[in-house]
Amino acid sequence: MKIRINKSACVGNARCAAVSEQLFPLDDDGYIAVEEVDVPPGMEELARKGARACPERIIVIEEE
Amino acid sequence: MSAAAISPAVPKPAHVPDALVYDFDMFRDPAYVADPHKRVLDLVKNAPPIFWTPRNGGHWMLLSHAANFNAARDTEAFTSEFIPKAELAAMKARMPPGMPHIPIPIPINLDPPDHTKYRAPLQRVFSPKAILAIRDSIVALATELVDAVKERGHCEFMKEIAEPMPVQVFLKMLGLPLDRQDEYREIVAAHLSDPSPDARAMIPKLQRIAASMNDTFLARRDNPQDDIISLLWKIEVDGKQSTIEDMQNYGVLLFIAGLDTVMNGIGHGVRHLAQNPDLQAQLRANPKLVPEATEELLRRYTFTVPPRLVARDMTFEGVEMKARERAMLFLPAADLDSKEYPQSESFDLNRENKVHIAFNAGPHRCLGSHLARVELQVIYEVLMARLPTFRLDPDKPPTFHCGHVVGVDSLNLVWDV
Repeated sequence: MKIRINKSACVGNARCAAVSEQLFPLDDDGYIAVEEVDVPPGMEELARKGARACPERIIVIEEE
Repeated sequence: MSAAAISPAVPKPAHVPDALVYDFDMFRDPAYVADPHKRVLDLVKNAPPIFWTPRNGGHWMLLSHAANFNAARDTEAFTSEFIPKAELAAMKARMPPGMPHIPIPIPINLDPPDHTKYRAPLQRVFSPKAILAIRDSIVALATELVDAVKERGHCEFMKEIAEPMPVQVFLKMLGLPLDRQDEYREIVAAHLSDPSPDARAMIPKLQRIAASMNDTFLARRDNPQDDIISLLWKIEVDGKQSTIEDMQNYGVLLFIAGLDTVMNGIGHGVRHLAQNPDLQAQLRANPKLVPEATEELLRRYTFTVPPRLVARDMTFEGVEMKARERAMLFLPAADLDSKEYPQSESFDLNRENKVHIAFNAGPHRCLGSHLARVELQVIYEVLMARLPTFRLDPDKPPTFHCGHVVGVDSLNLVWDV
Protein backbone atom coordinates (compact mmCIF):
# COMPACT_ATOMS: atom_id res chain seq x y z
CA MET A 1 0.00 0.00 0.00
CA LYS A 2 1.17 3.51 -0.87
CA ILE A 3 0.13 6.96 0.33
CA ARG A 4 0.27 9.70 -2.29
CA ILE A 5 -0.01 13.33 -1.23
CA ASN A 6 -0.50 16.39 -3.42
CA LYS A 7 2.11 18.19 -1.32
CA SER A 8 1.87 21.59 -3.01
CA ALA A 9 -1.83 21.75 -2.06
CA CYS A 10 -1.16 21.16 1.65
CA VAL A 11 -2.35 24.09 3.77
CA GLY A 12 -1.03 22.82 7.07
CA ASN A 13 -4.09 21.41 8.83
CA ALA A 14 -1.86 18.64 10.22
CA ARG A 15 -4.86 16.36 10.76
CA CYS A 16 -3.05 13.47 9.07
CA ALA A 17 -0.17 13.78 11.54
CA ALA A 18 -2.68 13.81 14.40
CA VAL A 19 -3.61 10.29 13.23
CA SER A 20 -0.01 9.08 12.73
CA GLU A 21 3.13 11.17 12.93
CA GLN A 22 5.09 8.23 11.65
CA LEU A 23 3.12 7.86 8.42
CA PHE A 24 2.59 11.59 7.88
CA PRO A 25 5.73 13.49 8.92
CA LEU A 26 5.49 17.30 9.02
CA ASP A 27 8.13 19.95 8.38
CA ASP A 28 8.99 22.60 10.97
CA ASP A 29 6.17 24.82 9.69
CA GLY A 30 3.63 22.06 10.28
CA TYR A 31 3.09 21.20 6.59
CA ILE A 32 3.40 17.71 5.14
CA ALA A 33 7.04 16.86 4.46
CA VAL A 34 6.60 13.99 1.97
CA GLU A 35 4.78 13.19 -1.27
CA GLU A 36 4.82 9.43 -1.14
CA VAL A 37 4.94 6.89 1.67
CA ASP A 38 5.23 3.10 1.55
CA VAL A 39 2.86 1.91 4.25
CA PRO A 40 4.55 -0.64 6.52
CA PRO A 41 2.56 -3.86 7.05
CA GLY A 42 0.03 -3.49 9.86
CA MET A 43 -0.40 0.28 9.41
CA GLU A 44 -2.90 0.13 6.55
CA GLU A 45 -5.90 1.20 8.64
CA LEU A 46 -4.01 4.17 10.10
CA ALA A 47 -3.01 5.22 6.59
CA ARG A 48 -6.65 5.15 5.44
CA LYS A 49 -7.75 7.05 8.54
CA GLY A 50 -5.05 9.69 8.05
CA ALA A 51 -6.06 10.16 4.41
CA ARG A 52 -9.72 10.59 5.37
CA ALA A 53 -8.79 13.16 8.04
CA CYS A 54 -7.46 15.68 5.51
CA PRO A 55 -9.92 18.59 5.15
CA GLU A 56 -8.30 19.50 1.80
CA ARG A 57 -8.80 15.95 0.44
CA ILE A 58 -5.32 15.80 -1.07
CA ILE A 59 -4.22 12.42 0.29
CA VAL A 60 -4.96 9.27 -1.70
CA ILE A 61 -4.30 5.67 -0.83
CA GLU A 62 -3.17 3.24 -3.47
CA GLU A 63 -4.21 -0.22 -2.38
CA GLU A 64 -2.18 -3.05 -3.86
CA MET B 1 -27.76 43.40 20.54
CA SER B 2 -30.99 41.51 19.82
CA ALA B 3 -32.95 44.73 20.06
CA ALA B 4 -30.97 46.39 17.26
CA ALA B 5 -32.94 46.96 14.08
CA ILE B 6 -32.00 44.97 11.02
CA SER B 7 -30.30 46.94 8.27
CA PRO B 8 -32.33 48.47 5.41
CA ALA B 9 -32.76 46.39 2.26
CA VAL B 10 -31.03 47.54 -0.93
CA PRO B 11 -32.44 46.87 -4.43
CA LYS B 12 -31.51 43.58 -6.04
CA PRO B 13 -29.06 43.78 -8.96
CA ALA B 14 -30.63 42.80 -12.31
CA HIS B 15 -28.55 39.64 -12.79
CA VAL B 16 -29.75 38.09 -9.49
CA PRO B 17 -32.85 35.93 -10.10
CA ASP B 18 -35.74 36.22 -7.62
CA ALA B 19 -35.34 32.56 -6.68
CA LEU B 20 -31.88 33.29 -5.25
CA VAL B 21 -32.97 36.18 -3.04
CA TYR B 22 -33.35 35.35 0.65
CA ASP B 23 -33.75 38.01 3.29
CA PHE B 24 -31.15 37.45 6.01
CA ASP B 25 -29.25 40.01 8.08
CA MET B 26 -26.04 38.24 9.13
CA PHE B 27 -25.49 40.74 11.95
CA ARG B 28 -28.98 41.28 13.33
CA ASP B 29 -31.48 38.68 12.17
CA PRO B 30 -33.51 38.27 15.41
CA ALA B 31 -33.83 34.46 15.35
CA TYR B 32 -30.13 34.16 14.49
CA VAL B 33 -29.03 36.38 17.38
CA ALA B 34 -31.43 34.55 19.76
CA ASP B 35 -29.94 31.10 19.03
CA PRO B 36 -27.41 31.24 16.18
CA HIS B 37 -26.95 27.61 15.12
CA LYS B 38 -30.67 26.87 15.36
CA ARG B 39 -31.19 29.56 12.73
CA VAL B 40 -28.27 28.22 10.68
CA LEU B 41 -30.00 24.81 10.57
CA ASP B 42 -33.18 26.54 9.46
CA LEU B 43 -31.27 28.30 6.65
CA VAL B 44 -29.60 25.03 5.61
CA LYS B 45 -33.05 23.44 5.25
CA ASN B 46 -35.00 26.34 3.79
CA ALA B 47 -32.72 28.79 1.97
CA PRO B 48 -31.03 28.25 -1.42
CA PRO B 49 -27.50 26.77 -1.07
CA ILE B 50 -26.17 30.04 -2.51
CA PHE B 51 -28.36 33.09 -2.00
CA TRP B 52 -28.24 36.87 -2.26
CA THR B 53 -29.49 38.91 0.70
CA PRO B 54 -30.48 42.58 0.38
CA ARG B 55 -29.22 43.38 3.91
CA ASN B 56 -25.97 45.13 4.89
CA GLY B 57 -25.50 46.59 1.44
CA GLY B 58 -26.45 43.38 -0.38
CA HIS B 59 -24.18 40.34 -0.67
CA TRP B 60 -23.96 36.64 -1.47
CA MET B 61 -24.13 33.95 1.18
CA LEU B 62 -22.52 30.60 0.40
CA LEU B 63 -24.20 27.84 2.42
CA SER B 64 -23.38 24.44 0.97
CA HIS B 65 -20.20 22.65 1.91
CA ALA B 66 -19.25 22.35 -1.77
CA ALA B 67 -19.68 26.08 -2.43
CA ASN B 68 -17.61 27.05 0.60
CA PHE B 69 -14.91 24.47 -0.06
CA ASN B 70 -14.56 25.43 -3.72
CA ALA B 71 -14.71 29.19 -3.16
CA ALA B 72 -12.21 29.10 -0.29
CA ARG B 73 -9.72 27.19 -2.42
CA ASP B 74 -10.10 29.37 -5.52
CA THR B 75 -8.42 32.62 -4.54
CA GLU B 76 -8.40 33.83 -8.16
CA ALA B 77 -12.21 33.79 -8.29
CA PHE B 78 -12.78 34.93 -4.69
CA THR B 79 -10.24 37.51 -3.58
CA SER B 80 -9.37 38.63 -0.06
CA GLU B 81 -7.93 41.96 -1.25
CA PHE B 82 -10.88 44.19 -0.39
CA ILE B 83 -9.13 47.40 -1.33
CA PRO B 84 -7.39 46.68 -4.65
CA LYS B 85 -3.60 47.24 -4.60
CA ALA B 86 -3.75 50.08 -7.15
CA GLU B 87 -6.46 51.91 -5.20
CA LEU B 88 -4.53 51.52 -1.95
CA ALA B 89 -1.40 52.92 -3.58
CA ALA B 90 -3.39 55.90 -4.90
CA MET B 91 -4.91 56.54 -1.45
CA LYS B 92 -1.45 56.53 0.09
CA ALA B 93 -0.07 58.86 -2.60
CA ARG B 94 -2.85 61.37 -1.85
CA MET B 95 -2.23 61.40 1.90
CA PRO B 96 -0.41 64.46 3.26
CA PRO B 97 2.92 63.67 4.95
CA GLY B 98 2.66 62.69 8.62
CA MET B 99 -0.75 61.01 8.29
CA PRO B 100 -1.04 57.64 10.04
CA HIS B 101 -0.35 54.52 7.97
CA ILE B 102 -3.39 52.63 6.61
CA PRO B 103 -2.97 49.21 8.23
CA ILE B 104 -4.06 46.27 6.08
CA PRO B 105 -4.52 43.05 8.04
CA ILE B 106 -1.92 40.72 6.55
CA PRO B 107 -1.65 37.98 5.55
CA ILE B 108 -5.45 37.52 5.69
CA ASN B 109 -6.23 40.37 3.28
CA LEU B 110 -3.74 39.26 0.64
CA ASP B 111 -4.08 36.66 -2.12
CA PRO B 112 -1.32 34.29 -3.18
CA PRO B 113 1.49 34.75 -4.13
CA ASP B 114 1.89 37.73 -1.72
CA HIS B 115 -0.17 35.89 0.90
CA THR B 116 2.26 32.96 0.82
CA LYS B 117 5.30 35.22 1.32
CA TYR B 118 3.87 37.16 4.24
CA ARG B 119 2.35 34.13 5.95
CA ALA B 120 5.49 31.98 5.80
CA PRO B 121 7.36 33.71 8.68
CA LEU B 122 4.42 33.05 11.03
CA GLN B 123 3.95 29.35 10.31
CA ARG B 124 6.60 28.11 12.68
CA VAL B 125 5.39 29.96 15.78
CA PHE B 126 1.89 28.55 15.26
CA SER B 127 2.95 25.04 14.18
CA PRO B 128 1.65 21.98 16.07
CA LYS B 129 5.12 21.48 17.57
CA ALA B 130 5.41 25.06 18.84
CA ILE B 131 1.93 24.91 20.38
CA LEU B 132 2.61 21.58 22.05
CA ALA B 133 5.53 23.26 23.83
CA ILE B 134 3.19 25.72 25.59
CA ARG B 135 0.40 23.22 26.32
CA ASP B 136 1.34 22.78 30.00
CA SER B 137 1.20 26.52 30.60
CA ILE B 138 -2.30 26.59 29.05
CA VAL B 139 -3.41 23.75 31.34
CA ALA B 140 -2.07 25.68 34.36
CA LEU B 141 -3.92 28.85 33.37
CA ALA B 142 -7.20 27.00 32.67
CA THR B 143 -6.96 25.16 35.99
CA GLU B 144 -6.35 28.39 37.87
CA LEU B 145 -9.37 30.09 36.25
CA VAL B 146 -11.72 27.14 36.87
CA ASP B 147 -10.55 26.65 40.47
CA ALA B 148 -11.23 30.33 41.18
CA VAL B 149 -14.99 29.80 40.64
CA LYS B 150 -15.31 26.18 41.71
CA GLU B 151 -16.51 26.65 45.31
CA ARG B 152 -19.04 29.29 44.30
CA GLY B 153 -21.33 26.91 42.39
CA HIS B 154 -21.93 29.30 39.51
CA CYS B 155 -20.11 31.60 37.09
CA GLU B 156 -20.56 33.79 34.05
CA PHE B 157 -18.38 31.53 31.99
CA MET B 158 -17.50 33.95 29.14
CA LYS B 159 -16.16 36.77 31.31
CA GLU B 160 -14.55 34.58 33.96
CA ILE B 161 -13.00 31.77 31.90
CA ALA B 162 -13.63 31.69 28.13
CA GLU B 163 -12.34 35.22 27.60
CA PRO B 164 -9.31 35.50 29.92
CA MET B 165 -7.89 32.09 29.03
CA PRO B 166 -7.18 32.48 25.29
CA VAL B 167 -6.68 36.23 25.54
CA GLN B 168 -3.93 35.89 28.16
CA VAL B 169 -2.27 33.07 26.21
CA PHE B 170 -2.28 35.18 23.07
CA LEU B 171 -1.14 38.47 24.59
CA LYS B 172 1.79 36.60 26.10
CA MET B 173 2.68 34.98 22.75
CA LEU B 174 2.54 38.35 21.01
CA GLY B 175 4.35 40.22 23.76
CA LEU B 176 1.55 42.67 24.60
CA PRO B 177 1.07 43.76 28.24
CA LEU B 178 -1.52 41.68 30.14
CA ASP B 179 -2.67 44.68 32.19
CA ARG B 180 -4.21 46.20 29.05
CA GLN B 181 -6.34 43.08 28.39
CA ASP B 182 -9.69 44.83 28.96
CA GLU B 183 -8.80 47.76 26.72
CA TYR B 184 -7.67 45.45 23.88
CA ARG B 185 -10.82 43.35 24.18
CA GLU B 186 -13.04 46.42 23.98
CA ILE B 187 -11.26 47.63 20.83
CA VAL B 188 -11.50 44.30 19.05
CA ALA B 189 -15.16 43.73 19.99
CA ALA B 190 -16.08 47.19 18.66
CA HIS B 191 -14.20 46.44 15.44
CA LEU B 192 -15.91 43.10 14.77
CA SER B 193 -19.44 44.24 15.57
CA ASP B 194 -19.31 46.91 12.84
CA PRO B 195 -21.50 45.76 9.94
CA SER B 196 -20.11 48.35 7.51
CA PRO B 197 -20.01 46.85 4.00
CA ASP B 198 -17.23 49.19 2.86
CA ALA B 199 -13.65 48.18 3.64
CA ARG B 200 -12.61 51.84 3.48
CA ALA B 201 -14.87 52.69 6.41
CA MET B 202 -12.87 50.27 8.56
CA ILE B 203 -9.63 52.23 8.17
CA PRO B 204 -10.01 54.45 11.28
CA LYS B 205 -10.80 51.37 13.39
CA LEU B 206 -7.75 49.57 12.10
CA GLN B 207 -5.66 52.64 12.84
CA ARG B 208 -6.98 52.63 16.40
CA ILE B 209 -5.92 49.00 16.80
CA ALA B 210 -2.47 49.73 15.39
CA ALA B 211 -2.06 52.74 17.67
CA SER B 212 -2.89 50.66 20.76
CA MET B 213 0.09 48.42 19.99
CA ASN B 214 2.58 51.06 18.89
CA ASP B 215 4.41 51.45 22.23
CA THR B 216 5.09 47.72 22.30
CA PHE B 217 6.25 47.68 18.66
CA LEU B 218 8.83 50.38 19.38
CA ALA B 219 9.92 48.82 22.68
CA ARG B 220 10.53 45.44 21.01
CA ARG B 221 12.39 46.98 18.08
CA ASP B 222 14.92 48.46 20.51
CA ASN B 223 14.84 45.62 23.01
CA PRO B 224 13.79 42.27 21.51
CA GLN B 225 12.21 39.58 23.72
CA ASP B 226 11.09 36.02 23.09
CA ASP B 227 7.72 36.89 21.53
CA ILE B 228 6.01 37.22 18.15
CA ILE B 229 6.31 41.02 17.90
CA SER B 230 10.09 40.77 18.36
CA LEU B 231 10.23 37.95 15.81
CA LEU B 232 8.30 39.99 13.22
CA TRP B 233 10.90 42.77 13.43
CA LYS B 234 13.56 40.27 12.38
CA ILE B 235 11.89 38.74 9.34
CA GLU B 236 12.55 39.64 5.73
CA VAL B 237 10.06 39.50 2.88
CA ASP B 238 11.57 39.88 -0.61
CA GLY B 239 14.91 40.72 1.05
CA LYS B 240 13.43 43.71 2.86
CA GLN B 241 13.40 43.98 6.64
CA SER B 242 10.15 44.82 8.47
CA THR B 243 9.19 48.48 8.79
CA ILE B 244 6.82 49.96 11.38
CA GLU B 245 4.14 49.83 8.65
CA ASP B 246 4.68 46.08 8.19
CA MET B 247 4.45 45.66 11.97
CA GLN B 248 1.11 47.47 12.01
CA ASN B 249 -0.19 45.31 9.15
CA TYR B 250 0.71 42.09 10.92
CA GLY B 251 -0.33 43.52 14.27
CA VAL B 252 -3.92 44.35 13.33
CA LEU B 253 -4.50 40.87 11.91
CA LEU B 254 -3.01 39.00 14.86
CA PHE B 255 -4.89 41.26 17.24
CA ILE B 256 -8.28 40.72 15.59
CA ALA B 257 -7.83 37.01 14.93
CA GLY B 258 -6.25 36.20 18.26
CA LEU B 259 -8.46 38.07 20.67
CA ASP B 260 -11.98 37.24 19.57
CA THR B 261 -12.18 33.77 18.09
CA VAL B 262 -11.25 30.92 20.42
CA MET B 263 -13.27 32.35 23.30
CA ASN B 264 -16.42 32.04 21.21
CA GLY B 265 -15.61 28.49 20.14
CA ILE B 266 -15.18 27.66 23.82
CA GLY B 267 -18.50 29.33 24.59
CA HIS B 268 -20.46 27.32 22.00
CA GLY B 269 -18.82 24.06 23.10
CA VAL B 270 -19.37 24.61 26.81
CA ARG B 271 -22.98 25.60 26.23
CA HIS B 272 -23.49 22.27 24.46
CA LEU B 273 -21.82 20.41 27.34
CA ALA B 274 -23.98 22.26 29.87
CA GLN B 275 -27.10 21.13 27.96
CA ASN B 276 -25.88 17.53 27.71
CA PRO B 277 -24.99 15.96 31.06
CA ASP B 278 -24.71 12.54 29.36
CA LEU B 279 -21.89 13.81 27.19
CA GLN B 280 -20.19 15.26 30.27
CA ALA B 281 -20.47 11.86 31.97
CA GLN B 282 -19.02 10.15 28.92
CA LEU B 283 -16.05 12.51 28.78
CA ARG B 284 -15.44 12.32 32.54
CA ALA B 285 -15.38 8.54 32.32
CA ASN B 286 -13.08 8.60 29.31
CA PRO B 287 -11.05 11.82 28.91
CA LYS B 288 -9.34 10.31 25.85
CA LEU B 289 -12.55 11.13 23.94
CA VAL B 290 -12.00 14.87 24.40
CA PRO B 291 -10.08 15.44 21.11
CA GLU B 292 -12.83 13.68 19.11
CA ALA B 293 -15.51 15.61 20.99
CA THR B 294 -13.64 18.84 20.26
CA GLU B 295 -13.74 18.13 16.51
CA GLU B 296 -17.44 17.28 16.53
CA LEU B 297 -18.22 20.42 18.58
CA LEU B 298 -16.26 22.50 16.06
CA ARG B 299 -18.28 20.96 13.24
CA ARG B 300 -21.63 21.33 14.98
CA TYR B 301 -20.94 24.91 16.09
CA THR B 302 -18.67 26.38 13.42
CA PHE B 303 -18.61 30.09 14.16
CA THR B 304 -16.65 32.20 11.67
CA VAL B 305 -17.93 33.81 8.46
CA PRO B 306 -14.97 34.98 6.36
CA PRO B 307 -15.79 37.55 3.66
CA ARG B 308 -14.56 37.47 0.06
CA LEU B 309 -14.93 39.67 -3.02
CA VAL B 310 -15.95 38.19 -6.35
CA ALA B 311 -12.85 38.88 -8.46
CA ARG B 312 -14.43 38.84 -11.93
CA ASP B 313 -17.74 38.30 -13.67
CA MET B 314 -18.34 34.57 -13.53
CA THR B 315 -20.76 31.70 -13.09
CA PHE B 316 -20.05 29.91 -9.84
CA GLU B 317 -21.89 26.65 -9.08
CA GLY B 318 -24.54 27.73 -11.60
CA VAL B 319 -24.95 31.22 -10.12
CA GLU B 320 -24.11 34.37 -12.06
CA MET B 321 -21.91 36.71 -10.03
CA LYS B 322 -20.38 40.06 -10.92
CA ALA B 323 -16.93 41.45 -10.15
CA ARG B 324 -16.67 43.35 -6.81
CA GLU B 325 -19.78 41.73 -5.29
CA ARG B 326 -19.25 40.51 -1.76
CA ALA B 327 -19.63 36.83 -0.88
CA MET B 328 -19.62 35.39 2.64
CA LEU B 329 -18.12 31.98 3.29
CA PHE B 330 -20.89 30.91 5.66
CA LEU B 331 -18.85 28.14 7.24
CA PRO B 332 -21.40 27.44 10.03
CA ALA B 333 -23.82 26.29 7.30
CA ALA B 334 -21.15 24.36 5.35
CA ASP B 335 -20.44 22.22 8.40
CA LEU B 336 -24.17 21.55 8.87
CA ASP B 337 -24.73 20.51 5.23
CA SER B 338 -26.61 17.20 5.41
CA LYS B 339 -25.20 16.12 2.02
CA GLU B 340 -21.80 16.03 3.70
CA TYR B 341 -22.84 15.12 7.26
CA PRO B 342 -25.97 12.94 7.50
CA GLN B 343 -28.25 14.09 10.36
CA SER B 344 -26.01 17.12 10.53
CA GLU B 345 -27.90 18.60 13.49
CA SER B 346 -26.93 15.75 15.81
CA PHE B 347 -23.76 15.90 17.79
CA ASP B 348 -22.43 12.41 17.18
CA LEU B 349 -19.11 11.26 18.60
CA ASN B 350 -19.27 8.17 16.40
CA ARG B 351 -19.94 10.07 13.20
CA GLU B 352 -17.81 8.60 10.45
CA ASN B 353 -16.99 11.94 8.84
CA LYS B 354 -16.19 14.68 11.32
CA VAL B 355 -13.80 16.40 8.91
CA HIS B 356 -15.11 19.95 9.12
CA ILE B 357 -13.94 23.26 7.66
CA ALA B 358 -14.44 25.32 10.83
CA PHE B 359 -10.92 26.68 10.25
CA ASN B 360 -11.75 27.33 6.59
CA ALA B 361 -10.25 25.51 3.59
CA GLY B 362 -7.56 26.58 1.16
CA PRO B 363 -4.48 28.74 1.74
CA HIS B 364 -6.21 30.96 4.32
CA ARG B 365 -6.69 27.99 6.69
CA CYS B 366 -6.71 29.54 10.16
CA LEU B 367 -3.09 30.15 11.10
CA GLY B 368 -3.99 29.76 14.77
CA SER B 369 -5.93 26.52 14.34
CA HIS B 370 -3.39 24.39 16.22
CA LEU B 371 -3.42 26.81 19.14
CA ALA B 372 -7.23 26.94 19.07
CA ARG B 373 -7.55 23.14 19.09
CA VAL B 374 -5.23 22.80 22.07
CA GLU B 375 -7.06 25.55 23.97
CA LEU B 376 -10.43 23.94 23.27
CA GLN B 377 -9.23 20.49 24.29
CA VAL B 378 -7.58 21.84 27.43
CA ILE B 379 -10.59 23.76 28.69
CA TYR B 380 -12.92 20.78 28.13
CA GLU B 381 -10.46 18.46 29.92
CA VAL B 382 -9.99 20.84 32.84
CA LEU B 383 -13.74 21.44 33.23
CA MET B 384 -14.40 17.69 33.27
CA ALA B 385 -11.61 17.10 35.78
CA ARG B 386 -12.31 20.01 38.18
CA LEU B 387 -16.06 20.69 38.13
CA PRO B 388 -19.03 18.43 38.88
CA THR B 389 -21.83 18.23 36.30
CA PHE B 390 -22.65 21.80 35.28
CA ARG B 391 -25.77 23.11 33.56
CA LEU B 392 -27.21 26.33 32.19
CA ASP B 393 -28.61 28.74 34.77
CA PRO B 394 -32.37 28.48 34.04
CA ASP B 395 -32.89 32.11 35.11
CA LYS B 396 -30.19 33.55 32.84
CA PRO B 397 -30.21 31.96 29.38
CA PRO B 398 -27.13 32.52 27.19
CA THR B 399 -26.94 35.53 24.87
CA PHE B 400 -25.16 35.83 21.53
CA HIS B 401 -23.87 38.21 18.87
CA CYS B 402 -23.55 37.55 15.16
CA GLY B 403 -21.41 38.80 12.28
CA HIS B 404 -18.08 37.59 10.93
CA VAL B 405 -17.65 35.87 14.28
CA VAL B 406 -20.75 34.20 15.72
CA GLY B 407 -20.10 34.64 19.39
CA VAL B 408 -21.39 34.03 22.88
CA ASP B 409 -21.93 37.19 24.95
CA SER B 410 -22.89 35.56 28.23
CA LEU B 411 -23.08 31.98 29.44
CA ASN B 412 -24.25 31.53 33.02
CA LEU B 413 -23.46 28.10 34.44
CA VAL B 414 -24.50 26.50 37.74
CA TRP B 415 -23.38 23.34 39.55
CA ASP B 416 -23.90 21.73 42.94
CA VAL B 417 -21.42 22.50 45.72
